[in-house]
Amino acid sequence: MILSVSLRSLLRHRTRTVLAIAGIGVSSALLLNMTMLAGGLTGSFEELIGLRGFTLRVTPAGSLPFDTEAGIRDAGRVAAVIRDVDGVRAVAPVLGAQLYRVVEEGDGHERVFASGVVPDDQLLYELLDGRDPAPGEVLVSQPLADAPPWTPGGEVVLAGRLDPSLGRPRDPTPFRISGTGDFVFDYAGQRSIALPLADLQRLVDRPDEVSLFGVGVVAGADEEAVAAAIERAVPGVSAYSTGDLVSALDDQLLYFRQLAAILGSVALVVTALLIGTIVTIGVRERFGEIATLRALGIARHRILSGVVAEGLLIALVGCLVGLPLGYWMAGQLDAILLDVPGIPARVSFFVIDPPRVAGALAIVIGVGVAAGLLPGARAVTAPVVSGLREEAE
Amino acid sequence: MILALAAILLLAAPQMAEAQLPEILVERRLAEQLPLAIGDTVHLRALASEGAPLPFRVGGVHERAADPSRISRNEPEVRLQLSDLEALLPDHDRVDRFAVTLDPEADQDSVIAWIESLAYGAAIYPTEALADEASTTFRVISRFHDAIGAVTILASGVFLLCVMLIRVDERRRDMGLLRLMGVSRGTVFRTIVLEAVAIAVAGSIAGAILGTLIAGVVNRYFAGVYDTTLRFATVTPDIIIVAMALGLVLGIGAGVLAALRISRTAPRRLGEGR
Repeated sequence: MILSVSLRSLLRHRTRTVLAIAGIGVSSALLLNMTMLAGGLTGSFEELIGLRGFTLRVTPAGSLPFDTEAGIRDAGRVAAVIRDVDGVRAVAPVLGAQLYRVVEEGDGHERVFASGVVPDDQLLYELLDGRDPAPGEVLVSQPLADAPPWTPGGEVVLAGRLDPSLGRPRDPTPFRISGTGDFVFDYAGQRSIALPLADLQRLVDRPDEVSLFGVGVVAGADEEAVAAAIERAVPGVSAYSTGDLVSALDDQLLYFRQLAAILGSVALVVTALLIGTIVTIGVRERFGEIATLRALGIARHRILSGVVAEGLLIALVGCLVGLPLGYWMAGQLDAILLDVPGIPARVSFFVIDPPRVAGALAIVIGVGVAAGLLPGARAVTAPVVSGLREEAE
Repeated sequence: MILALAAILLLAAPQMAEAQLPEILVERRLAEQLPLAIGDTVHLRALASEGAPLPFRVGGVHERAADPSRISRNEPEVRLQLSDLEALLPDHDRVDRFAVTLDPEADQDSVIAWIESLAYGAAIYPTEALADEASTTFRVISRFHDAIGAVTILASGVFLLCVMLIRVDERRRDMGLLRLMGVSRGTVFRTIVLEAVAIAVAGSIAGAILGTLIAGVVNRYFAGVYDTTLRFATVTPDIIIVAMALGLVLGIGAGVLAALRISRTAPRRLGEGR
């Protein structure tokens, strides 16, 4: 009965209730977004790092992957040393460099970012069509594949340096396009190519040098311990576990996490204010009705639970509205933030983490209950006589 | 001369009385962390080099200019003469970039064309282009803030309308009495809208004060987190005017909607309980 009284009270003021639910829906959607943002990119990035099975990165000492142009020299020997470290399953060398594609009989050039890889052990791309690049071949990223002459089967002329006196690419070398790949670390629209490591080292005159190694560890091995063992075995390098890289990213994204905390708190306050206002006014209007119920002998706790149910109901329905709205808003906000330069297209700022989402919604519902408790307690402790007199007036 | 920067390792060093050592400038935060004082001797080695550490004398302590583009990479830095840094690195006679100052009469485009004809492969950016390139991230973040702002305005608008409806609902009987006494529909309408304007003005003023206070707290908090003089939240007169205008528009809109509901209802029905 008490529940139906609460429901009737909400239905009696339909416009007010609908507005309150809409407000709570928007606030809980914002709270949901901030919950998803707080750990979204970190979780998404963690997944990306291990996507190709290489969870460690070995870089020149003190630098993060592709942070500087410094390279690891004597790469063949270093790779062999890393392979001998306990717990290492595979080693993927990568050299990153800028190349020039010769345009119109050598009069002009186009820049393109190139990665030198060992196709059998590489962490940069997933083959979409064609085949891995053999010597004299390059694999192109999707954004490049649609633009001739980068289409698979075509031929391009590449050079690693420009002639300082003529401004033309020096020592141009023809390459055939072997296929198309999904370059997992590229940002949206990035034009990248991958070619055999030895070919790139020759083009840019960096023999036996790499920018980094991706290292795969055997199942069950402790990543941190393997990283530490690599640093001991190879002087002059830093070995980062997935945890280290995620932690470095976390430091760089501190602003977003704190913004999420601030905006999430604001959304929560707005929700609490809305529910509190609606329930308080609703209870205030029914002071006389509640006094009558008490005069009839209805127990205080039943009346209180009715008032609490009112807040709970508004919060619940508000959450139901907020959930799809929040997911839609997350998609829109994600599209905005992915325009930040250098962010891989595969990561997402807003990631659905069911426990976090459930936690956020539980908080909104908890706020609804708390917002009903205060006016409810006041209504059931107020003198019955004054309530009845108010009703009579 | 350009002072090049690189990842270098500071090695603990005993105090040495070497007068002719090359000097470095140490950023204030690093000087406090280690700690270091002017005249101290430190040994530096480039992380990317296997060469031996070289001794330097701390010649001064500097405060890094507040630069929002470096806030996510907030490592402390030291500055040294280009030739001294080159001595630490495996690559010599190489710089990351040159900064070029032009004569006031010089034509920027001609100079750029001339440099491009000399240094093939070099990218030359005028100050405006460089600022534009460097601010891409902030433009994106600004768009994100705008989107969040729009959601907040939507939530505030709904909240305001809800509060106005509640206030008007509370006074249905009073309004009904006024109408029965002969007060015109228009007067009742204007009374409610005026009340909404008063609430919106009071709320906007309170919001401006609260916003200014919160901006101060946010700036103080982030200044502590990043140890920077950058300001993360600014409340300018323009922002206050826009926020107050928005508050007023929302408030008046909510008041008009609530007033329409009341003024369209027959006076005898206004007395009925809802």
